[in-house]
Amino acid sequence: MKNTNDVKAEIKKYILEASLSDIKDVEDDALIFENGLLDSMGLLFLIEFLGESFEVEVTDEELNPKNFESINNIVSFVSNKLSVKV
Amino acid sequence: MKSESRKPFSKDIIHIENIDQVCNDIIAKLKTDVAKNLQRRGAIVGISGGIDSSVCLALSAKAFGSKNVLGIMLPEQDSSDDSRQLAEELAATYGVSTLIEDITKALDGFGCYERRDDAILRVIPGFDKKVDKAKIEIKQNIAENIPAIFSITVIKPNGDVVSKLLPAREYLQIVASTNFKQRSRMSMLYYHAERMHYAVIGTPNKHEVEQGFFVKYGDGGADVMPIGHFYKTQVYQLAKHLGVPQGIIDRTPTTDTYTAEQSQEDFFYQMPFESMDLIWYGWENDYPADEVGKVMDKTTKEIENIYKSFERKRKTTEYLRMKPIF
Repeated sequence: MKNTNDVKAEIKKYILEASLSDIKDVEDDALIFENGLLDSMGLLFLIEFLGESFEVEVTDEELNPKNFESINNIVSFVSNKLSVKV
Repeated sequence: MKSESRKPFSKDIIHIENIDQVCNDIIAKLKTDVAKNLQRRGAIVGISGGIDSSVCLALSAKAFGSKNVLGIMLPEQDSSDDSRQLAEELAATYGVSTLIEDITKALDGFGCYERRDDAILRVIPGFDKKVDKAKIEIKQNIAENIPAIFSITVIKPNGDVVSKLLPAREYLQIVASTNFKQRSRMSMLYYHAERMHYAVIGTPNKHEVEQGFFVKYGDGGADVMPIGHFYKTQVYQLAKHLGVPQGIIDRTPTTDTYTAEQSQEDFFYQMPFESMDLIWYGWENDYPADEVGKVMDKTTKEIENIYKSFERKRKTTEYLRMKPIF
């Protein structure tokens, strides 16, 4: 099973690649929608990535800032889902 | 920089005071644009029975005379039944001739319905395209600070509802398929415009243009857009002033694109027009969120998040408004 650090590294790498920006790094608590790293399609592709990489499915109700507004929040959301799954 | 002396934010701030003069100005500009700038001798208007196309037809009839305007109804198998009746009533009100061009076969040829239904079926395996109704909608609260994501909702004949967040691939396929509708309509409007040496009158309003609620080279494909700078509530004001039939004014604006009934609010805007117009005005004129919040009975944080949502929508739809780059 992947640990939290592995999950964070994968998610961060994905977001940096997906943003198509020149940014080399992003703070773990940076607000990724506010600073323009991801837009609505970016969020949709992120959800697809979470499904493919971690087998995590996102529901309507889970789609909120608490789960998605920063890398830390996404990692926490994914980790919780993974521990529930196990 | 906004001056200290500007009007305080209020619910009347976008109300058109001199409606007669504003109508005359739009009509005069429309005449100049079509006759002088575009060098065309009349107008083609696609009419759906909706408020925007109705106002455009009324303006065109006044600008060019009824005999130089042709209203075209472009139904397809998913269009609502009352669209035709309302469009006919509208045309009769202004003495404009109409044509009906059913685009169902063209859409079938493009595979519009099949491609759309295949994508829905991948997300909702029990979807029965013969009897179930479907639509896509945004369920998140616009006052929450997160980009809008679409869900697919399927309604069974017995009223049961199944709804699921749309994965990227299926969302894109559904939108790309249904966009054949607007693009087929645009092709048909230009066929008639070219055979008559007329201009195509585009019907998008200010929100549709600026928030990107139109299809590039579909309903966004036109020669002139007379209401492109007007808020939706102002379009209603114009409609009343121009004498658009009450049945059209009272109708809830729909997309008329999906098989299930769907308001534009559910589909895209995430709030009623009356609120959206005012908050959008506040946003684009730099009114502070707390001042707008007090008038709109919302918290400063809610208004700030709605401002951010507007900013995101305008930015992410910039591609739709861009001309080809060369």
